[in-house]
Amino acid sequence: MNRLALALALALAAGCNPTLSAQSLAPPGRAARLDAVDGFWGIKSYRLELSRGIAIAVTCNHGGPCQKLHVTSDDTNIAEVHDASFGVLQPNGGPAYAPQGQATATAFVVVGKSPGTTKLHVRTDDGGRTIAVTIAAPPAPQRGN
Amino acid sequence: MKQLLLVLPLAACGTGGAMHQATIVGQCAADDAACSRRHPLQPLAIGSHFHPDVTAEISGSTTPNLVLQSADPSVLAVEGGALVAKQTGATAVLISTEDGAVVDFQHLWVAKVTSVTLAKRDGDRIGGAIGLAVGEDITLVPALWNNAQRLAGDPDAEWRVSADGPIAILRDGSSDRRRLKARAPGTATVTVAVGGIETSVDVEVVP
Repeated sequence: MNRLALALALALAAGCNPTLSAQSLAPPGRAARLDAVDGFWGIKSYRLELSRGIAIAVTCNHGGPCQKLHVTSDDTNIAEVHDASFGVLQPNGGPAYAPQGQATATAFVVVGKSPGTTKLHVRTDDGGRTIAVTIAAPPAPQRGN
Repeated sequence: MKQLLLVLPLAACGTGGAMHQATIVGQCAADDAACSRRHPLQPLAIGSHFHPDVTAEISGSTTPNLVLQSADPSVLAVEGGALVAKQTGATAVLISTEDGAVVDFQHLWVAKVTSVTLAKRDGDRIGGAIGLAVGEDITLVPALWNNAQRLAGDPDAEWRVSADGPIAILRDGSSDRRRLKARAPGTATVTVAVGGIETSVDVEVVP
């Protein structure tokens, strides 16, 4: 019974669309933050805040690393997207507490090009996500810099 | 869960890059302690060049042919394979395969030079006048600073000497280092200028 409840909970949490996770740190004094925007049925979309010139690595998961990942930016002058090769194995298939196997993570890198807002569209073979992106200007240099 | 715990340490392999897969270091001899280009973890001095040596550490693969791309070329540009510091700020440098897949990236900082000091080849800081006997020589390296922060990079340093007789300033193949050769008894002042910031050292040559 407990197993069934856990499996149901995991299935609900997984939803019908992939989940995204940040895989890199923000440098000091700069923003690189990915947040889920929750709705009634779980994650509705994502919000990404980046400083200009800063990059963030993001992995895509949907019961395992996403397949046929394709990410586009509405405005590449504001946020640029690059395919990434991330050599990390992640659980693949089956419930999270007993994965059937492992596969190489699927990832992309977002770069803040200039201050402004735009949207990224994450497409996989089984659903997609939208990321609302805000690129912030870096802080003005302080004395001595 | 056990499998997940086994997977986690893989992510910690490698150093340097944000994705733990590649490292940018300077092109220096292994035993060259004073090599100013060695330390990419320090901010690069505005106007300086950094000649990177990029290696990737990817399980099951040697390093593929990698290319560098700056996220903000107004702060740090990639010119002919070298990183050129343009203005104060921070930017990601993407390390990608030739077909555009990002293997890793590293955020690098650029800062202006507020002071210059001189050091010997072994890194020992020059704190006062230098005495040399005729025929002796000493190699000096300019060290760049932003207040207490040491800066990295290969600067376009200008070397001047107040009097030509006592010493000769010789290049040694490095763009920043110079060898001072004592030629005749006397005194001279050697001045090093980087981006308008100067430092001087008095040199006395004895018979």
